[in-house]
Amino acid sequence: MAGFTAFVRRLAHGALVAFAVVTVTFALLQLAPGEPLAGVAESPYASPEVIEQMRRNFGLDRPIHVQYARYVRNLLRGDWGMSFAQRRPVLDALADALPNTVVLGLAALLVNFAGGIALGSIQALRPRSALDKALSAVSLVLYSLPVFWLGLMLLLVFGQVLGWFPVGGVVDPVTHPSLSPIGQALDRLHHLALPALALGLVGAGSTARYQRAALLEVLGQDFIRTARAAGLSERTVVLRHALPAALLPTITLVGLTLPSLLSGAVLVETVFSWPGVGRLTVNAVLQRDYPMVAGAALLASIAVVAANAVADLAYRLADPRTREA
Amino acid sequence: MHRKPAMNRSALSLVVTLAILACRETPACPGVCGTAVILGAEPDVLFPPVTHQDAGIGVTDMIFLKLADIGPALNTLGDSGFVPQLARSWDISDPTAIRFSLDPRARWHDGQPVTAQDVVFTFDVYRDTLVNAGARPLLQHIEEVTALDSLTVLFRLRRNYPERFFDTVYHARILPRHVLDTIPRQRLASHPFGRSPIGNGPFRFVRWVPGQYVELVADTGSVLGAPGLARVIWRVIGDPVVGVTQLVAGEADVMPTLGVPENVERVRRAPHLRIAESSPSFYAYIGFNLRYPGDRGRAHPLFADRDVRRAISMAVDRAAVVQAVFGDGARVGTGPLAHTLWIYSDSLKALPFDSAEARRLLASRGWVGRDRDGVLLRGANRLEFELIVPTISQPRRRAAVVIQEQLRRVGIGMAVVEIDFNLFNERQRTGRFDATFGAWSQDPSPRSIEQSWGSAGIGGFNHGSYSSPAFDRLIHDAIAAGDPGTARRHWHAAIRQINEDAPAIWVYSTRPLAGVHRRFQNVAFRADQWTSLLWTWHVNPDSTLPRDRLIAP
Repeated sequence: MAGFTAFVRRLAHGALVAFAVVTVTFALLQLAPGEPLAGVAESPYASPEVIEQMRRNFGLDRPIHVQYARYVRNLLRGDWGMSFAQRRPVLDALADALPNTVVLGLAALLVNFAGGIALGSIQALRPRSALDKALSAVSLVLYSLPVFWLGLMLLLVFGQVLGWFPVGGVVDPVTHPSLSPIGQALDRLHHLALPALALGLVGAGSTARYQRAALLEVLGQDFIRTARAAGLSERTVVLRHALPAALLPTITLVGLTLPSLLSGAVLVETVFSWPGVGRLTVNAVLQRDYPMVAGAALLASIAVVAANAVADLAYRLADPRTREA
Repeated sequence: MHRKPAMNRSALSLVVTLAILACRETPACPGVCGTAVILGAEPDVLFPPVTHQDAGIGVTDMIFLKLADIGPALNTLGDSGFVPQLARSWDISDPTAIRFSLDPRARWHDGQPVTAQDVVFTFDVYRDTLVNAGARPLLQHIEEVTALDSLTVLFRLRRNYPERFFDTVYHARILPRHVLDTIPRQRLASHPFGRSPIGNGPFRFVRWVPGQYVELVADTGSVLGAPGLARVIWRVIGDPVVGVTQLVAGEADVMPTLGVPENVERVRRAPHLRIAESSPSFYAYIGFNLRYPGDRGRAHPLFADRDVRRAISMAVDRAAVVQAVFGDGARVGTGPLAHTLWIYSDSLKALPFDSAEARRLLASRGWVGRDRDGVLLRGANRLEFELIVPTISQPRRRAAVVIQEQLRRVGIGMAVVEIDFNLFNERQRTGRFDATFGAWSQDPSPRSIEQSWGSAGIGGFNHGSYSSPAFDRLIHDAIAAGDPGTARRHWHAAIRQINEDAPAIWVYSTRPLAGVHRRFQNVAFRADQWTSLLWTWHVNPDSTLPRDRLIAP
């Protein structure tokens, strides 16, 4: 029952956050310099007369509070608005982009946590050794790298110079439609490798530092000493007892990583021509496509709230002590 | 010691190899073959009346045809040089009517014939405010469109003027009535047709994978004849640097706008690529605001003075600017026109670079003192102003810095303010600037000069509020002139007039540079819309790539 109450409380909290994001985003877009449709205003194909008619057709000639009320009312009906630039529903555009961002995000999370946990664990098992110091330097460098720079370097080296990986995109548009399902999956993986590495490696640096600290702390605790005294092999002590306990703080990182993952995805998706929500958002901002920007912000807030809820759940599952709280 | 063999390119490219093997490949290259992978932005929508962005226009121009298209000389007077597309012939002998005979071979990509009813429907859609087509204001000369029979259509015009044929055929792509006539007009712009169009052009729409690519295949039964390429893939790129990397790596064939000189240089160094002039052509200028920023009712304290404008123009060495920013990639501006416009002539000259004359003119207007920064003074007023530049344009940002230094040497202070493109547009539109580093791409008609610089354009595209009755009169005469020689003479007189008045510094005129794979032949870029001629390209059979021989499912 307590769990259900907590779930409902979290849901209500999430809804409040989403409403706040909608309101703040709408207000910020109104305050931003420039105006909607300014992006097409200078097109030689769009005269002032056409722009003015466009403004009327999109309802932008109404007072701001009327536009806001209409926007919220439509949102509650499941209508996220019509993109100014793409001339299609915002939800359709987001639905096209979201799977790409999810795939990229999951792959990057895998790189981030698999790499970071492995790196941090190796360091913790040989603290203050030369290897520990070297890996510390590596994780620090990874942590410090600007994600767009790393992406460009990966593209130049592994895409252009070595030719091992394709230079951007989700699939090879020339061959992909003709491939078998397995061939299509391989094609996608081939294209996914570099962007996932770029996005994941940067986070792996900080994950490694968390994991190192957590494992070092656990290795010094009484239950580990007891396990060793009971004659368990060092391998069993580390893999069965120390590592699971040390993963708890790292698990909470999953939820905390999501916002940075989303912001990193904006850059990686642009560099790798990866058609996800990040690139959609950048384009929408550049084109002053207000409904699309607001939709992307709402989607991001929902994703962050959901990810934190999932991290909470994972933490409760991993740590029996929290279930009773 | 045995070394583990290094992972080579082919091993790691296994996926690609598998992919290619999985596709059907023709043994040779008979008939129509060849794939062009083009890099560009994502189209906005593929419904011609509301397509505003270059990428969308580029793709729709391959899918949809006009009644007739402009010729390679881009002449806009009469029907000289125009080539038939959906119309087999036309009659313009009546000064207020044009009769078109449609080509009976013309078919929609779903097999239906193109009829006169399609033409009537198209112009009704284009002129409907509920659809709000970009070209709507350009079609106001049309009074009525009538189908005389299934293949003959009559346009009745409100007035007779030399560009009436150009205006009638150039702006509208014919739409399929049988597909669209049941859709409410207010929903046409956002209807799924715009993302899965049925056209009548040399290429047929296959698929649009959002954010990734648009695929077209040749319509071998096209009324224009079979295209030289079997397939066109318009691949969406997020960043020009990445696009150039794809081009250099051999993953793509054409990038119509390479952008900054560094990108051009990378392409120039790639042996399998060549550089070509692309579209659209445009001219860039530093426009002075003759009215007070944000208040068109008052004169600007500096730029209302013609001599000050002339002096500033003459203080700029535009040849040096062009050389510093573009090398040989652009021409020095000669007036408010791109060098590809049919009225262009090398005989047109803007004010020359003459810093001594600039100083003399400024002194004659009372700018004689200097402050400790070396800026000229008149009383307590410094000769300084702000130039707004859009961050999106690297050439303009670079040119602004060079010009800033040239003006400083004469004692003119110019603050360069780089701003976001949307804000830049808004400040131009509302007149909230001293000077703007603007650029105009031009459709083939010189009439856009009137919109941008004539009195009629004030409050619209004439951001600096330049107003000259003499210029307006010359423009009017030029537009009314029926033969090219007279029209050209009037246009030149108008341009000489505006150059003397110096409402702007005409900095450069250029066409974007494109990178193109060398295996393509008959490569032609029309200055107004390069994809218009893509259907005439073909691949040299001796130099095909595997992707040229793939047959899409």
